This record gives sequence, C-alpha cells and structure tokens, in this order.
Amino acid sequence: MNVVEFTNVSKKYGKSNAVSKLSFTLAENKITGLIGRNGAGKTTLLKMMAGYVKPSSGNITVFSKDPFDNLQVSANRIFIDHQMSFSPLLTLKELLITAGRFYANWDSELAWRLFDYFSLNPDQNHAQLSKGMKSTFNMIIGLAAHCPLTIFDEPTSGMDAAVRKDFYRALLKDYLNHPRTIILSSHLVSEIEDLLEDILLINDGEKYLHLSVEELREYAVGVSGNASAIKELAQQHSLIHQKDMGSGRMYAVMKTEGAAKQALDQTRKLGLELTPVAVDDLCMHVTSKSQGGIDSVFN
Amino acid sequence: MIVNPNSMTPIYIQIAEWLETQILNEAIHSDEKIYSQYQLAEMYNINPATAAKGLNLLADQNVLYKKRGLGMFVSKDARHIILNKRKNEKLQSMVKDVTKEAVQLGVGVEELIVMIRKMHSEAKGGNQ
Repeated sequence: MNVVEFTNVSKKYGKSNAVSKLSFTLAENKITGLIGRNGAGKTTLLKMMAGYVKPSSGNITVFSKDPFDNLQVSANRIFIDHQMSFSPLLTLKELLITAGRFYANWDSELAWRLFDYFSLNPDQNHAQLSKGMKSTFNMIIGLAAHCPLTIFDEPTSGMDAAVRKDFYRALLKDYLNHPRTIILSSHLVSEIEDLLEDILLINDGEKYLHLSVEELREYAVGVSGNASAIKELAQQHSLIHQKDMGSGRMYAVMKTEGAAKQALDQTRKLGLELTPVAVDDLCMHVTSKSQGGIDSVFN
Repeated sequence: MIVNPNSMTPIYIQIAEWLETQILNEAIHSDEKIYSQYQLAEMYNINPATAAKGLNLLADQNVLYKKRGLGMFVSKDARHIILNKRKNEKLQSMVKDVTKEAVQLGVGVEELIVMIRKMHSEAKGGNQ
C-alpha cells in the first residue's frame, strides 16, 4: 500500500518554482531519506506532504486523502522541523503531557525515558533551549508520537555528533518495534544511509532519482587512471563527474547501467582502477551544477 | 560484483559473510534458527530491508531455508556450500590479487610459492 502519492506536483512561490512536476510514492513502513542540496525543494515537498502548503498544481494523496487542511491526515502524521512553535506559557514537562493528548499512539514511557536520557530540564521553556536541545526535544516528540506517517525535516540540525548518533539509533530501534512510514530529510547522507531503505534525491525541485540505498551503492563507479583511456570510455557511458588529477591522469564517475557494466569490467585490463562511489559522493556529484565542482571556479 | 570487494563491500554482503562465518565456526548449527532481519538490523544498526537482503542471498544459495511463519534455518549442507563457495570465489580472487601484485613487483612464481608455503605452515601452526 502506498501511504503517500505525489502526481505531477508543482509549487510556485511568486515566479520561482520550488517544486516542479514531481511524482513519487512512498510505500508503507519504509524509511526514506529525502536528499537534496540547499534550496532543492525538500522542505516545500515535506510541507505539502504534511498538508501545511497547498500545491500550485498536481495531485497529492496521503492515506488516500488530500492532506491539505485535512483533520484525518493531520491526526495520523507528524511533521518535525526546527521551526516548531510551542506555547511559551508551558514548560517542557507540560508540553510533553499536552503532546500526549494530541496523538492516539503516544508512547509516554518512551518520551520520558528519552527526556531523561538527554538530560532535558522539565521546568524549562522551549524558547530558552539551545538550538541542539530544541532539535532533541522535537525529535523526542516525533518519535514518541508513533504516527503512521512520521516526517522529519532536518531533524539533526544543531545536534552534536553524539546526540545525532543516539538519535539515529533511537529512530531505528523504535522503528523496529513500531514499523511505520518515515521520511527524513538531511544533508548528512553518510550518517543516515545505513538506516534508510530508499533514497529520494531531488534537484532544483525535480525528482532526480528514487532508488533503494543498495541500488544507489551500485549506481555509479569511479574510474581512475590514464586520462585519454577514460575519455574514450566516457563516450560509451554516462559521465557523472570528472576531475583532472594532473600528469595525464584523471578520475571520473560513470553510471553503471546494463550492458555498460560488462564494458566497465574490461577496464581493469586497460590498467584503469575501479572504485565504488559512496552514496553521499554520488548525491553530491549528480546534483552539482558543473562537472568540475568548486575547482572550476578557480581555473 | 563490479567493484573491488576489498575497498567497500556492500553491507548486505558483509552481513551474509558474517552469518557464513558463524555457521563455519559452528556458533549456529544445522537446522537451527538463524537471526531474524530485525535482530540483525538491531545488531548492526542498519535498515531491516538491508539485513533481509543478506539473509535472502544465503537462502538463494541454499545455505538457509525458509519455514513459513517461523523464519530462516541453517540447511544441512550449509557448511559444505559455504566452504566450496569461499574456495571457488573468495580464495580464487584473493589469489588473483596476490599474483597480480607479485607480477607488478617482479616476484617470480618460485619466490611466491616459497612465501605462500611459509605463510601456510605459519597459519596452520597458529590454529593448533
């Protein structure tokens, strides 16, 4: 069953397209990573999914309903980001109690255990928390709500490395105990890729690819060695990224598709070295504006 | 696989290899239940779908068999299958790498064999 379906969805802010002609589906009980550069349209996409923003055109269904202004959808999803606003009159303790009243599946025990583990002060106000502590508190709400659709927009911003690691582990353990559809956006692909089943990569508001993490790990291959041999090879393969290594050598990232795979296998005989391409490097290369990266600015 | 397995083996293959080693070391015996995808996900901090892919890889090779509703179990000749596979695939490719390196360094066959012989007796001695 598909929990989320986007069909040809576009969103314009003024004259600029934040999201354009985006179509994808999220299957039930998967963890999907939403990856994209700054300004790629991640937050807009997630806000439309949550029902906060109405698309300019196209069709969105969440639990088979239009999510915009829909009570049933909003009761079954939670949207966590760093801008969440809570009442300034309530303490953190009161906020947790209140949150428990909103969500049918609320796991109060988990909420308080996490609250104690991360040493949050029950009498403090949300507005007084540091950026990292705010994210931590929001994350606790996001996990404990056990919503069938859980949306995290950059949940780890401001968290230190240790808290991020704890959060990923908490997310996985809670997901194993209570499988549900989770989508989280992040820049830190390498930190979350093991956790994910699928990756949805968007670029300039458009879907670039939507594949399982395992498929992405074999999506491209890095080739290094003699520059002219690589350039020749690049004519048969889709070139994703290239970098001049000096003294007639270069490094290139190429797509490993179908029949081309076998041709790439032959490259070892040509003295070219093949290396796997890490998922975060791949995401960076394919969304790069120029094939040369930042180096091209200085040339 | 098209990539050099030494540099970055996919996680599901690492999971499968770890399970194989568990079976070879007789930590899990024939007809015993193997870890579930959820147990593996928790142990290795990975998505359960990745763990399932590792388990299915072994099921496809008849190292494991499925019992409907009960999970996966170690098959009778699992050890035999794993040993054969490692000999034919892993050892072969490692020998290939060693030989290539030897050729690049100008090490002759005889010299290489002497080295291997020495390592072999050392490794055997270490196991006793």
